[in-house]
Amino acid sequence: MRFSRVVAIPFVLASLATAARAEVPVGAIEILSGPNAAYGTSIKAGLDLALDTINKKGILDGQKIALTVEDSAGNKDQAINAARKLVGRDKVVAVIGPTLSNEMFAVGPVTNERRIPTVGTSTTANGITAIGDYIFRTSLPESDVIPVTLKKAQARGVKTIALMYANDDAFSKSGFDVMKAAAEKSGLKIVAIESFGSKDTDFSAQLTKIKGLKPDAIGISALVEPVSGVLLQARQLGFGKETQFIGGNGSNSPKLGEIAGAAADGLIVGSPWFIAKPDPISEKFVSDFQAKNGKSPDQFAAQAFDAMFIVAAAIDRAGAADSEKVRDALLKTNYSGVMGPFTFTSGRDPASTEGVVVLEMQGGKFGIAK
Amino acid sequence: MTYPPWLDDFLWTYQNVIHALGINGLLALSMYVVLAVGQLSLGQAAFMGLGAYSSALMTLKLHLPFFVVLPASCVVPALFALAIGVPTLRLSGVYLAIATIGLGEVLRAIYLNLDVLGGALGLSGIPQRTETWMIYLLLIVAIAVLWRVGHSRIGRAMEAMREDPNAAQVMGVNVQRYRLGALVASAVLAGVAGALGAHASNFIGPNEYGFEPAVTILSYALLGGIGTPFAPVLGAWILTLLPEVLRGFSDFRGVFNGLIIVLAVLFLPNGLLALRMKRRAA
Repeated sequence: MRFSRVVAIPFVLASLATAARAEVPVGAIEILSGPNAAYGTSIKAGLDLALDTINKKGILDGQKIALTVEDSAGNKDQAINAARKLVGRDKVVAVIGPTLSNEMFAVGPVTNERRIPTVGTSTTANGITAIGDYIFRTSLPESDVIPVTLKKAQARGVKTIALMYANDDAFSKSGFDVMKAAAEKSGLKIVAIESFGSKDTDFSAQLTKIKGLKPDAIGISALVEPVSGVLLQARQLGFGKETQFIGGNGSNSPKLGEIAGAAADGLIVGSPWFIAKPDPISEKFVSDFQAKNGKSPDQFAAQAFDAMFIVAAAIDRAGAADSEKVRDALLKTNYSGVMGPFTFTSGRDPASTEGVVVLEMQGGKFGIAK
Repeated sequence: MTYPPWLDDFLWTYQNVIHALGINGLLALSMYVVLAVGQLSLGQAAFMGLGAYSSALMTLKLHLPFFVVLPASCVVPALFALAIGVPTLRLSGVYLAIATIGLGEVLRAIYLNLDVLGGALGLSGIPQRTETWMIYLLLIVAIAVLWRVGHSRIGRAMEAMREDPNAAQVMGVNVQRYRLGALVASAVLAGVAGALGAHASNFIGPNEYGFEPAVTILSYALLGGIGTPFAPVLGAWILTLLPEVLRGFSDFRGVFNGLIIVLAVLFLPNGLLALRMKRRAA
């Protein structure tokens, strides 16, 4: 017995030493399985890439960040369970995510109750940060992006617009609400509002009605599959170059060109980031991401990459792994990353829309709109 | 009430799981009630949605206290069950299942298109009013009542109908009335579960009450069995706990989850608790 105690001493000392260089626990809740897994895996890849750099240098005098990524499967209950596990068991100082705005509406009140700063990287709906004082987001809400897109359209001479949206999906509906408000505010005349279901394949009734009204532009808020369907049918029905198609955030996906091909040409969409952005930080991010993952990053990976740095820097500035101090430090964020310069408003939303670029579909690929 | 810190942390961490176990138990019972009279209805998720939306509106718009909202939450589903029960209960087997799926889709379209119900964005900011004891008290009461009913004359009539409705009718069992009664009881249970769920998680959306949850509720009863009221509750508990217990498998979680269910159905076709109610010879 005595011998074993003596032997145990070095182990105890070793464990004390590692305790002194403890890791800082940070949690993330993303959709890693199910139909929306593409978003979550992309975000996770962005977080992991940022973590490689952060942990090489360390924060708070050489501590590493231990990131626990939990799967929500896109399910509200699983997202809440994940949040409670991260906060209650893993004692994280901050949470990144969850992926969807709907999940944030369920998770936000939980983390906010325990005063854990929670940073959404892909939640674009209205009212996210109003959940509580500990809820942040680094993703530009649609209400910041769509006015920039509409301004571009107006510069091209658009005066009347018809709006189309998918009414069975929170993301599309919220984007439509924003588009309608922005169009009214910028003085565009809305000639028609038509809705459809996300899984619909026939849009001819809505498009025929719109064609008769001859609007200068058609704004579409939906996920990329139905947007592609609308564009393909619109071309069949004879909508030509004279009609300016305007997409919401859902159209901002390379899949649009893959599905709709030339039918998507001329569509413009606002994006917080663009893969061919002529900027050294962004170019380095793209090449590092390709080297590590063997594929090109999308805007979700880029947003997550920045968010991980913003959270790590906030923990470092807080001077301790203390969620209350991390929250105060987050508010004082002044960071320059892949998306451009970044600060939070006092309402914990991104302050600057400088990074927004308007993209145009040309030959099945996005380029910067002229 | 104060708990030691470790227990407090444990309860906080698993609060949502503990709530979900009780609420899904109630949903399993609502499925059990209709299966017990030999009807295959897939309208439980729709009834749950009616309870959730009507109770959330009572709280958010009318600011009623929860002890009024909770009992009132079963009124709309029960009335709805009465209204649709009369025409649809002439159907049986897979035809009733299809009709009730249709009902769920109609309601989903209504939630999506009525602005007062929040459309696709759902209703958020519902205050947390559900307490753990309320859920489990109701679950225990429901099991006790169903156990009592199962041992009474009504229970025998229900079992007879399940085995052979025609023979039961000949024996003098009013099959239509029992079926309607079972559907209303099922709607009440699902409605209360919906109200408890809505006031436990701050947010409800139209897709939570569509086809997929309807099938999940059915699988609670299929996995557990329908011999006694305990069986479907056990099924619900297992299916609710599995995804959380399997968190460690991360990417392979779905695979293991599915595998366990397939094995259970293959080897235990009558459910995990295949016991039947014991009765003294009459």
